[in-house]
This record gives sequence, structure tokens and C-alpha cells, in this order.
Amino acid sequence: MALETGPESPVPVRTVSQMLSDWIGKLGAIWVEGEVADFRPRSQARMQFLTLRDIEANASLTVVADSELVGRLDPPLEPGARIVVWARPEFWAGRGSLQLRARAIRSVGIGELLARLAQLQATLAAEGLFAPERKKPLPFLPGRVGLICGRNSDAEHDVVVNARDRWPATDFEIREVAVQGANAVREVTQALLELDSRADIDVIVITRGGGSVEDLLPFSNEALVRAVADATTPIVSAIGHEQDSPILDHVADYRASTPTDAGKRIVPSLAEQRAIVEKLHQQGHMIIRRRLEQESHVIADSRARTRRTLLHRIESWTNDVSHLRARARSLSPAATLDRGYAVVQGADGSVVRDASDTTAGDLVTITVQHGAFHASVTEEAAS
Amino acid sequence: MSEPTFEEAREELAEIVGKLEAGGLTLEESLALWNRGEEVARVCTEWLEKAQAVLDAAAEDDDADATSGAGNPTQE
Repeated sequence: MALETGPESPVPVRTVSQMLSDWIGKLGAIWVEGEVADFRPRSQARMQFLTLRDIEANASLTVVADSELVGRLDPPLEPGARIVVWARPEFWAGRGSLQLRARAIRSVGIGELLARLAQLQATLAAEGLFAPERKKPLPFLPGRVGLICGRNSDAEHDVVVNARDRWPATDFEIREVAVQGANAVREVTQALLELDSRADIDVIVITRGGGSVEDLLPFSNEALVRAVADATTPIVSAIGHEQDSPILDHVADYRASTPTDAGKRIVPSLAEQRAIVEKLHQQGHMIIRRRLEQESHVIADSRARTRRTLLHRIESWTNDVSHLRARARSLSPAATLDRGYAVVQGADGSVVRDASDTTAGDLVTITVQHGAFHASVTEEAAS
Repeated sequence: MSEPTFEEAREELAEIVGKLEAGGLTLEESLALWNRGEEVARVCTEWLEKAQAVLDAAAEDDDADATSGAGNPTQE
């Protein structure tokens, strides 16, 4: 039932106010949960105003409550407190503003918060977000480390100092953001998305020091936890102390017990790596050296065997030659000469078998056991 | 005629023995074969003595290496 209006037929403000008031009034009373963003008690006033803000999104509403209702609250209202309000939305025509008119206010207790965290954790676990096979390995040596932490915090100092103690050249890209309170989820998530999109960041550390359960709530926030699960860069969570375990710890690729532990985990130790390289260097040296020794032994052994084989063959040949020589001697006239006989040969080399074949003055060659000599015939012996 | 090789000399010596064993030779032929046999036997013996000397010299080199310490090619 839109109003028929035009430049010549406008409606007065009161008509619009009345219509808005009617529409909003139809919503009736509802239960709303949020965090007290701003609250300044007005003493002596009949009504109290507070700003109720969404836990995750950038959305706020003004809540109006009777002073008496607010005064009864235990614990008393203060900024940062989580409350559930039973209220009726109403349009305040006098100022043209929208507000929630509270009929009841309850603070959300720690026990209830923890129960809800446990429920969220169970849901995410059932989705498989904590599965070991989802965990990305941390790089051995990151080119650059993204660090999300509080401004000038001890956690930041611990991560940076301990990492540089191990690897002095560790390069950090630091995002100092709110790590508690209403802006924490938004700022941490934004920093995470920005660092995750950068190719030069090889690992991201999300850290803050210890705190109350409420202080650490942003790190169990579903939106933040899902952003971490979706990140492509390995994420290290280092929240609070060993005993603190926000849901971020379960979804992160590595859960550091403390910021100091995170600093030590993200880079290798320069001294250890040097020692490993030195040891490998020495081992390589030893292996080459042993190999060379082996080879020279093989060569020495081959030489010795070759030599032995040759000596053996020389010995065998020597026996062979002396055997043949002895055989030739035994078969030749030499054996006869050994017994004292001599062979006489004429100048033409023919053997003298008949004394009458020679005449005085002939030159003959006489061969005896050892050697031969020349002689001249003087006369024929009487026969 | 140049000095025969070891194999040639040894072969000739074996042939001379074979001829002498076969017999049927005149005394002159026997004497000539025997003299030739002595000569090639001397050639064989010289060859073998030379080879022995070479091996002995090599063995002395090895002993010299062993006493001066094995070569260490690596640089510390």
C-alpha cells in the first residue's frame, strides 16, 4: 500500500513517521544477542541508552532500557560484555530514530559461551576442518613470514626475536591489528586475507599473548576460523599460553604452544644447518678418499698378479728352453765329445774319416768337448 | 739376418731337437744343427733374463712406493 505522492502532492513528515512506526511496531518483541559497544550510565535519568553491536559484522542498534532494569543487572553493564536483550523494535518519531526498547536483559555467562564454543568446535570437526590430511606442511625456509599480532605486543617481540635468533635473515611482513574486542575478528581476518593473497608470503603466524576467555573469543570466531581453513598459505597459530586452546589452534596448520614456540618453528636453525652441511661435506670427503684407496689397491693388486703370472711363465719358458737345449745336446755328437772323442774337419768342413785323405800341411779344425781349434797336419802316423 | 724373436728362437730350437730325434743325419749335419741349437738357446736365455730383469726393476719401484707412503691425492 504505497503512498501516491508527487512533487505537487507530497505527504507531511508525520504521515511517514506514523507509517514507519506502524510497520516497525508489527515486528513485536524479539530476543537479540550482541556486545555492549558503548554505555555511559546517566545518573538520575529514568532511561538508559546503550549501543549493542554485532559480534562479527559491522552493525549496531541503540537499546533503550529503564534505569531500574539496568540497575538490577549483575554483573553490571560495561563495554565488551555479551548480552541477550528481549526487546521490541520501535520508531521514535520525535528524532526519527530506530531503537530497541528492552524489557529484559541477560548477560551471556562464560559457561554458556564455552558451551557454544564446544558446539561450534564439534560442528567444524564434523565438517573435517581439523583433519590431519588438510594440514599444509610449513616451508623449510620461508622467503617472507606474515605476522598478525597486537600493536607493540610481547607476542610480536617473542616471535620476531626467537625466529631471528635461529635464522638472522628472517624477513617479516607485520600487520599490527586489534587482537581483542569488537574489531579483532574483522581486522585479523582482513590482515589474513591480504597476506594470504601475496605470493611472497610463505607462512603466516597469528599470535597474541594470554588473556581471559573473553579476550581470546575472536580466535574461536567461526568466520575467522573458516577464513584460516580456506587460506592457501600455511598458518601457524600461537595464541596465549600452552593451556589456551581457541578453535584457531585446531584449524591452523601448526599449533604453536606460545609465540616463542612459533618463532622457533617457522625457520630452521642456522647453526644446525651449518653443522649438517659441514658433516655432509666431511662424509663426501671420506667416501671419495676411501674410493681412491680402494682403486689404488685394485691397481696394486693387478700389478702384483700380472708380475707373478709373468714370472711364472718366464720360469716355465726357462725350464722349457733348458730342457730343449739338454735334449739337443744329448742327441748331437756333443755327447760323444763329452767322453773325450774329437771331430776333425777339413778346410771344406767335411769330416775327416780316413787319415789318407790328408797330406802334410793341410789345415784341419778339431772340435772337442769344450770348443774347437785349428791344427795343421805334419805327417801321417804309421798305421 | 736380424736377431730372431723369442718365439722364433724357441720354435727353431724345438725344430732342431725334432730333427736330431728323427736321426738319419750325417755327422756334419748333426754338428751344424747342434751349433745352431746352442745359438738359438742363447737367444732364448737372453730374452728371458731381460724380461726377468724388467720385472725385478718393477718390483723395486713398488717397494720404494710402499716405504715412502701411498700417494695421497686428496687435499686437506
